[in-house]
Amino acid sequence: MKKYTFRGGTHLREHKDTAGKQTERIPEPKTVSIPLSQHIGAPAQPVVSVGDAVKVGQVIGEVPTGLGCPVHASISGTVKQIVTRYNAMGAQIQNIVIENDFLHTLHESMVPYPKSPEETTCEEFIEVVRRAGISGLGGATFPTYAKLQSAVGKADRIIINCAECEPYITANHRLLVERGETVISGMELVMHALNLPEGIIAIEDNKPDAIAYMESRLEKRRQLGRPANIRVCVMKTKYPQGDERQIIYALFGKEVPAGKLPADVGCLILNAETASAISRAFWRGIPLVSRIVTVTGDCVREPKNVRAPLGTSARDVIEFCGGLTQTPKKMVSGGPMMGFAQWDPDMPVTKSTSALLLFSADHDKANTIHTSCIHCGKCVSHCPMHLMPNYLAQYAKAGDTERAQKMNVMSCVECGTCSYNCPAGVEIVQYIRVAKNAIRAAAKRLK
Amino acid sequence: MEDLKLQEQPASQEAPAPVAEMPPLLTVSPSPHARQGITTSHLMRDVIIALLPATIWGIYIYGLRAALVILFSVLSCVVSELLFQILLKRTVTISDCSAILTGLLLGLNLPPNVPFYVPIVGGMFAIIVVKQLFGGIGKNIMNPALAARVFLMLCWTNQMTGFPKEYTRLWWSADAVTSATPLASLKVGALAENFNLLDLFLGRTGGCIGEISVLMLLIGGAYLLVRRVISWQIPVAYLGVVALLTFLFPAGGADRLPYMVASLCSGGLILGAFFMATDYVTSPVTNGGRLLFGLGCGLLTFFIRRFGGYPEGVSFSILIMNTLVWYLDMAFKPHVYGIQRKKKGEKKA
Repeated sequence: MKKYTFRGGTHLREHKDTAGKQTERIPEPKTVSIPLSQHIGAPAQPVVSVGDAVKVGQVIGEVPTGLGCPVHASISGTVKQIVTRYNAMGAQIQNIVIENDFLHTLHESMVPYPKSPEETTCEEFIEVVRRAGISGLGGATFPTYAKLQSAVGKADRIIINCAECEPYITANHRLLVERGETVISGMELVMHALNLPEGIIAIEDNKPDAIAYMESRLEKRRQLGRPANIRVCVMKTKYPQGDERQIIYALFGKEVPAGKLPADVGCLILNAETASAISRAFWRGIPLVSRIVTVTGDCVREPKNVRAPLGTSARDVIEFCGGLTQTPKKMVSGGPMMGFAQWDPDMPVTKSTSALLLFSADHDKANTIHTSCIHCGKCVSHCPMHLMPNYLAQYAKAGDTERAQKMNVMSCVECGTCSYNCPAGVEIVQYIRVAKNAIRAAAKRLK
Repeated sequence: MEDLKLQEQPASQEAPAPVAEMPPLLTVSPSPHARQGITTSHLMRDVIIALLPATIWGIYIYGLRAALVILFSVLSCVVSELLFQILLKRTVTISDCSAILTGLLLGLNLPPNVPFYVPIVGGMFAIIVVKQLFGGIGKNIMNPALAARVFLMLCWTNQMTGFPKEYTRLWWSADAVTSATPLASLKVGALAENFNLLDLFLGRTGGCIGEISVLMLLIGGAYLLVRRVISWQIPVAYLGVVALLTFLFPAGGADRLPYMVASLCSGGLILGAFFMATDYVTSPVTNGGRLLFGLGCGLLTFFIRRFGGYPEGVSFSILIMNTLVWYLDMAFKPHVYGIQRKKKGEKKA
């Protein structure tokens, strides 16, 4: 079988111990705290007030204009308070705290879309996706409706990203094995609405069961007489294969020009769970109110995948996973390579929480060694964007953004491969972020 | 009785898993939160391990005095680094093993019969002048061991170029009959009368402690290549160019093939190509740059050996190429993903 891959990157230690475990649904928590900004774009404004009764799937936050996703209640109950909390990046975000009545009353709007896919126009379909509050569930949380909009007329194929190249995370893997058909159904809907002739499911070769299952589902689909326009592409297991640009390069040998989007080279890329969420929204009317979270790390007693209502606190999730075996130093939301370290043990599960990783101080020890760059070139040979991270980091450290920019610092996708491989423990990507932010800030000032 | 039972229980049953509480606040840091775990000291240790066969061979050929020379050199490097960093109130970095490696390389680059002050002064020069004055590990522009070797050559030319005959096992005193080195004969094209090729390859010959056995050095080089500590570009380009040029232009009408093999196997060429030219700090980071770096080293070595005043050119060539690393890095920037390649005409505009 042909295996697709890209130049650069690195094979990480996988730690995918939860890959063989059935996803479990977490019991509904007593309260949820739902942040109104779980997506890229403008934060949503609350449309309920304290004391209101809310039902599962009811819109509690709306984005009136501009880019953004509505936010839905993930449990039924009463709005207890609307508070402002700091998120991991230090931004103040409004949270709606709902107390559970444990009745699980569904909102009236949660009904299948009345029209069949054939009758639904592209605009209507995108509106369905927008109203369901779906944003990219791979971790970047770009509103999916906006991605679809930008791809209309430009893209001629859809790629379902199930590379899941980050270590530890198995949420997409389990989704494919357990509910692979919903991913295909979501793909079909998008392909139909946007009139895309081709669909590809990209899976890394460390998930043979997922590959086999998806192949069997596609085979069944062909036997039913549906067009054979969806195929599985097996990718070599290498980080960061899940980066959109690397998927496109691996599959088609094409580069996405700097500053352009995958749609500009004819590709629409959606995360597997996003596709599944689209299917749920269309066929069953369920907005995005829960997601699969991989809970693991060396501090968790029973690592597993859970489906958690959005807004469930990390503490509740960890408790469901048997609690802690040792005191964690860090809690990472997302993968260890690009995820965000959280300071708040009660941090709510959001649309971006693909994993909750709990690492002890012992595990984190390697991150505390920092010496001088020894010019070994490992960052250069592993960089998937073919930059020279060692020089970029030096320029960033010296505040020389001009030279960093000349060496295409803005092309960096911040995957962290350089820092991972650095024997000297130089915080390469961290310095590069500093330079990128300084350049962005300077550009803003000029405007 | 009951107390005893309670105490015994955990042992008989499965040990209860420890329970831990969430701390009130967790540590926040930017991603990535994982590291591969190979550190600078691992890499340095690997190079030291790779040098051990050649070191042991040198000691076997020249006796314990060779070990003492290496020991003084290593000690001098480590102590210099320690004292310098303590005196200047800098972070002490001797635990990264780079000073040990510098000392070992310097020791291997010395004849076994040098007075003991030579490795000591050499170690101080390597660490203080070449490494620390430039800012410590990673900042030096030349390979410290090589620069120190050249410094010692200029200061004590006679001591540095008189090599005892092989199997002259010395102890404390350095009195030894020195013999002509293969390189000096190679310069004039005299070959077979003085030595045979197998002896050269195995290391049954005179020379610097670590240079003599090609076989042992190749074992070490192979170890580094397999462990991916070094990449093949520099040694292959370096040795390839020397091989090609000596094959095409043997001196004094010598036979091509033996002359080529003798040139490759004599002097510090193998040691230089695998262990000195590949020094991370003073070699380029891109594969293209590394190829050109090796090529330059090879050319310079050939020209110095053939036309220069010294019989050996490895140290000088590597040092000269060391100074060009920045330009080689800039000349061989990889093509960045998504950036349009400039056409040749555009570049100057």
